Formats: sequence, structure tokens, C-alpha cells
Amino acid sequence: MKPIVAILSVLLLLSTEVRAAIGCTLSNPAQDLKYLFPEMTTYKEEARQFDKLGNGAEQFKKLPARLGSKLDPVYETYETPYTVYSVFKGTNLIGVVHGVNEAGKGGVIQVFIATTPDTGVIKTVFFQRLESPAAKALKSKEFRAQFSGLALGDFYKHDYFVVAEPTSDKDKVGRIAAPAVGDAGQQDYQATLRGIRKNLVLLDLFVFGLRYDAHYVRSQELLETLTAK
Amino acid sequence: MNHFTLASKNLLRRPVRTLLTIAGVSLAVAVAVSLGGFNLGYRQALDRSIDRLGFQLMIMAKGCPYEAATMMLKGGTGLLYLPSETYENVKSDEAILSITPIFVGIASKEGSSIRDDAGATSFSIISGIDTESFMTMKPWLRFKAGTGYDGGRWFAKDSTNEVVLGFEAAEYEQRKVGDTFYSTITPNGQTDSKMHEFKITGILDRTGTQDDGTVFMPLKNAQHLFNRNQELTIIGIKLKKFNAIELREFEGRWLKIPEVQVVSLQQVKGTLVSLVGTAQVMIAAVAIIAVVVAVIGVVNTILMSVYERTGEIGVMKAIGAYRSDIFKLIWMETLAVCVTGGLVGCLLAVVGASVVEAAIRSLINLGVQGSIVRITPLLVGGALGVSVLLGFFAGLYPAWRAASMRPIKAIREGE
Repeated sequence: MKPIVAILSVLLLLSTEVRAAIGCTLSNPAQDLKYLFPEMTTYKEEARQFDKLGNGAEQFKKLPARLGSKLDPVYETYETPYTVYSVFKGTNLIGVVHGVNEAGKGGVIQVFIATTPDTGVIKTVFFQRLESPAAKALKSKEFRAQFSGLALGDFYKHDYFVVAEPTSDKDKVGRIAAPAVGDAGQQDYQATLRGIRKNLVLLDLFVFGLRYDAHYVRSQELLETLTAK
Repeated sequence: MNHFTLASKNLLRRPVRTLLTIAGVSLAVAVAVSLGGFNLGYRQALDRSIDRLGFQLMIMAKGCPYEAATMMLKGGTGLLYLPSETYENVKSDEAILSITPIFVGIASKEGSSIRDDAGATSFSIISGIDTESFMTMKPWLRFKAGTGYDGGRWFAKDSTNEVVLGFEAAEYEQRKVGDTFYSTITPNGQTDSKMHEFKITGILDRTGTQDDGTVFMPLKNAQHLFNRNQELTIIGIKLKKFNAIELREFEGRWLKIPEVQVVSLQQVKGTLVSLVGTAQVMIAAVAIIAVVVAVIGVVNTILMSVYERTGEIGVMKAIGAYRSDIFKLIWMETLAVCVTGGLVGCLLAVVGASVVEAAIRSLINLGVQGSIVRITPLLVGGALGVSVLLGFFAGLYPAWRAASMRPIKAIREGE
């Protein structure tokens, strides 16, 4: 009788409504991914959450430092779900796509990146939702193209360069020219930069096994050395 | 060894056959429970959605009343407008307890696409309201509290740059109290849209209705922004006495205005329930057929098992087993199959409720908010009870057949 009682208990416990948190997913993944990767034959959509990772709590604690900014207590929580799209040509993985929600000035900004499958280098940056006076400038191909070829390591190095060598040519992120967004669009521009970095940080954790963490550690060590001097 | 243990061992002799029979019962029970859950959940969701509209009646521009009411429940873009003077005329009717004018407009979301050549793919519902009369209709509306939401309040009546967001609208846009909110509106009669900037004065708590996805602003401002200064979308009404006679009399007084219609939400509810009811009857027929097929499968399996064990049953009787012992044994095997199938089926239905809900929603827009599949403990208990009952009856014939065997003949046939 015990198994029957156990099953009954599970049934009764499960007979309640469950609520889900809001994540950032592509509206039409099949069409959108085909648009980004015309050679795509199939794709895989996988959900990722900090609270489902083995060392999720530890990684979530480290997230603000890797992002270089605080997390929003309401919309960037431990339970927030993320979606990773793996794009295939036949059986070959040809790209990874990931998006995040960023609070813009007048509404949410949904910024996505498409990366190489093995190194997490940005191939394309695009917006799914962006309502802003600066929308045209931020969505322009010229602005978005500046991120192509960048990896998370470049953002971590930027943290060092911006303090130690602000004019260095080696600072690829520092070389990005801000679009003409005016005062009204500044907040959305900053949110876009943060969103792109957040995408890279999360992909590094969810897909690339913290490949670029050594860059973060090194840049922090150098910054500490500088501060000590 | 008692009857239960012996029955279990007999079933486990042919594990694949037993599992397949249980699977048949499980699927039938899962379909029946899911259907029951949908029936229950949909009616509750519809009741909730209509009750939470706050009105008993709506006056709106002529068109399909059910389409209009469904739009009120689930949102939509096919809006019709009536002159504001209708409100001025109707509000003096003595049968009215409370009345509120509402203007609904659709704002497009700019840049809602990854393709450069695609247009906006989403929109937000803007509702211009008179807060005083609106709150009389919906006294349960509360401002959300907590981090990011404290200090919520309604906008000033004449404000041109303040809005209040419904719970889901705020969550969708990741907005908090005090944040800015952009809305792109195309004024009536114009081709170019214009982006407006608002300050969010409050965010409403979840209601489980269309209000959750709505952006509220002062009535006058909404009319002005959409360039429909003398128009309304809906007039919501509560009567002092609400019954069929009062309703007919009220309709008689106001249907004389050529451009408007009076819609009772009870009528709309009845129509929606009957529309979905037809589909539910068809699905129920399929579920009943599935259950009948599953029961036939169980009877067939147990009978096959009885015939295979003819010799064994003969020996059992020869060494002293009573007719009642054989009857109980076979009957218990049938019950075990049906009860296990019932349990697994209920588990499948509960675990798969969200999948069923998503499937139904992807096939048909039911026009209600909240969960439409509600599997309650009572429903699960009922399904298990029916499984036991089916096992009870399905086992009668095979058990009687086995119990009636003559020992000598059975042993001979079994050799």
C-alpha cells in the first residue's frame, strides 16, 4: 500500500498551479535562426537557470562582478530562466544564440548575440525588442558590426585598460564608437552594452565552461596591483 | 501466500503483456482526467474573467457582440468606437447603479523584430479610464507593493504624462514605479506614429484578467493621443437590479440609438460555454471510447491469462482451493491492472496538464486569462474511483469463468 499512498500524495501535491518567471526567448526561433544562419538545417533550444546548476549559487554570486554592475533585484534573480539556441548544419554545430532582457529607459530591451560554436566569439548582435528614441542608431548595421569578432575576454581586458591605459589600441571594446543617440538614448546605449556583456558572461557559464574566466582573474589581479601602487 | 501476493506474481509472469494493458488503461484515464480538468478549469477561468470585468453590461459600437466581448477578455486590435455623448445620455438612466466610460487604443511596439525589413510584431493595449468610476466597478484593484513597486498611486485626472501599468505589462517591459515608459501611438487619421514618454505612477497587483496586460492613462489623454477626442470604446454598467426583465427594459430604452448595442456578459458567457461545450462533448465521446477499449483490453488480457492457466487452476481446485478463492484471485488481478493504470493515468494527467493547456491554447484562443486546465484532488479521486469500479466489473466475467472450471476437465485441457 505504501507506494500507492506515495503516488497519491504526489498527485495531490502536484494538483496546483505553477507560475513561471519571465525569460528572453526568440519570438519565432525557426525563422529567426534561419535568418541569422541561412545554412542552418536544425536547431536545439535549451533552458538554463542558475538554480538548476550544480554550483549555481556560487556562480550567481560572482555574476555582478563579471558583469561589472549590480543585478536588478526584481528582474535578474536567481530563478530567472535563460534560453540557449544551438544551431546545426546537419550534425555540425555552426553557432550559438543567446538573448537577455535589459531594462532600457522606456521599456525592456531584448538584445541577442550569435556566436561561434567553439570560442564564443560574437558573429552578430541584434535586437528583438527595442523601443527608444535611439532605436534607429542602435539598430544600425554600422553600430552592431563593431561587436563582430569580440569575445568575453575583450570585455574583461577592457575593465583593465579603461583604468590603466584608457587610450590603448589594444582595448577592442574601448574602440567601439558610440552611435549618435543624444541624451535621450544614452541609457539605452548603456543598457545595450551591458546586455551584450551579460550575454557573453552567461554563455561562457552555460555553454563554454568558463573558458574566459582566466581573463577575468588576470584583469582583476592587474587592477589590484595598480591600486596597490 | 495471500490472494494479493499471488495475483501480483501471476501478473508479473507476463510483464510485457501486463505493462501494455496498464498503459492502455493509463492513457484512457489520462485523457479522461485531462478533459475533466479542462472542463472545470475553462468554466472557472471564464467565470473569473467575466466577474473581474466588473460590469454586468457593456454598451459598445455595433458589430459582433461576442467578438467585442472576447476582445475585452483577451485583447485585440479590431476596435470600434461610439460617440462620447452616448455616455452622457445613458448615465442618467435610473436603473444604473454605476457606470464607467472606457477608451481602448492599440499602441504598436517599435523595433519588435530582429529583421530590419520587418514591421512591429507586438502591441500594447492602452486603456483611457476615469479612475473614480472605474474603481467603483473594480474595487479589488490594488497597487503592487514591495521592492520597486512601493508608493504606487493612480495618475492625476488631467495628467498628460502619467500611466499605471497592469502586472503583466510591467513584467513584460521590466518596469517599476517611477520608471519611464515609451509608447508609440498612431493618431486616428494620420499615417505617422509618434513615440510618447510617460512616468509610471503605479503598478497594479495581478488580477488574472486582461487588466494585467493593460497600460492605463487618463481618459482625456488617451482620447487626445489617439485623436478620438469625442469617442469611447465601451461603457461599462452595473444595474441596481440585474435580472432578465430589468435587462430587457434597459436594452429597450437604449437600443433605440442606432449606432450602439447593449451586451450582457452573462449572454456572452453562455454562448462561449456552449461553443466550447460542443467541442468538449466530442472529446468526451473519444475519451469514453478510449476507456471502453481499455476495459475490453483488460478483459481480453485476463481471459487470455485464465485460458493459459487452465491446468494450473484445475490443480488448485483439486488440492482444495474453493471457487471463491479462484474468483478472488482473478478478480484481484483485474483490479490491480485497473488501479495501477488509473494511478499512472492520473499522474500523467497532472504532470502533463501544462502541456495539455499549451496544446489547447495553441489550437484555439479561448479568450480567457489564467489556467484553463484545473486538475483538482476531487477529480483525481473520482478518476481513481472509476478505475476501481471498472476493474470491479471488468474482472467479473474472467473470474466467474475461472471459478466455474471443473478440476479434472481443467487439468486435462491444461496438459
